[in-house]
Amino acid sequence: MAEAPTSPAGGSHESGGEQSPQGGGGGGGGGVREQDRYLPIANISRIMKKALPTNGKIAKDAKDTVQECVSEFISFVTSEASDKCQKEKRKTINGDDLLWAMATLGFEDYIEPLRIYLARYREGDAKGSARGGDGSSKGNAVPAMPGPSTQFVHQGALNYGNPQEDYYVPLNNMGNGS
Amino acid sequence: MRQPGRYSGLTMCGGISGRTGPHSLPLARIKKIMKNSGEDVKMISGEAPIVFSKACEMFIEELTRRSWMTTLEGKRRTVHKDDVASAVVATGIFDFLVSLVSGSCCSEDITLVEIETLKS
Repeated sequence: MAEAPTSPAGGSHESGGEQSPQGGGGGGGGGVREQDRYLPIANISRIMKKALPTNGKIAKDAKDTVQECVSEFISFVTSEASDKCQKEKRKTINGDDLLWAMATLGFEDYIEPLRIYLARYREGDAKGSARGGDGSSKGNAVPAMPGPSTQFVHQGALNYGNPQEDYYVPLNNMGNGS
Repeated sequence: MRQPGRYSGLTMCGGISGRTGPHSLPLARIKKIMKNSGEDVKMISGEAPIVFSKACEMFIEELTRRSWMTTLEGKRRTVHKDDVASAVVATGIFDFLVSLVSGSCCSEDITLVEIETLKS
């Protein structure tokens, strides 16, 4: 009774499903699952809608195309950053490498908003893990309060209210990469 | 140990995307796409996907706004794939996408798009 009957041929062997290898290479997508190649369409759609007036609509084929384009964008920038890391004999691609790659590839307008974003992240990171005392001294607008209140502080201090303005922040400290 | 949830909360909620919910774009997925982009991409710092989450948001917004301009030129209210393709062709920094948007539709379409772009 204790002995379980052997499963019918092929019954339980297929349960693993597709085990596609990581890193198909080149973004060609040979053996890479779809959910590993693209960002979720719902998130893409939400961001697209944000960029349109309320009377604007988006066809599904447009969403699909943008979804593909975003993955291509990530690969494009990552490859450039990766080349730079290899030349400099470093193994880890960091945020500054990506900023450099984007500037090189023509996305200079993204750099300044991203720098601010990254600085905010690092600030939050320092506070979150309670390392270093400069978390509170750096941002004069950031009170030493834990919890969700920091969300409002970030929004207020960043002035990210209008996404349209993000792209046109003048670029003045491009050369000071660490 | 880093916890993605916490960091997503800090950056996504705290950043511009507060309006759109806690997560603008999933960091783990971004990292996977980064790794899929080349054999030599092995190590990725924790902040790299965070940079991309914001960069992709800006990229999507820009591409959408430019596509919308094409839609309006056609006196329509729905953005279609051809509008995106047209925006890509018309924008210099999107050159790397030209083969992607033209590869999936026939070459005649793209020629038409290019002619339309030239006209306007």
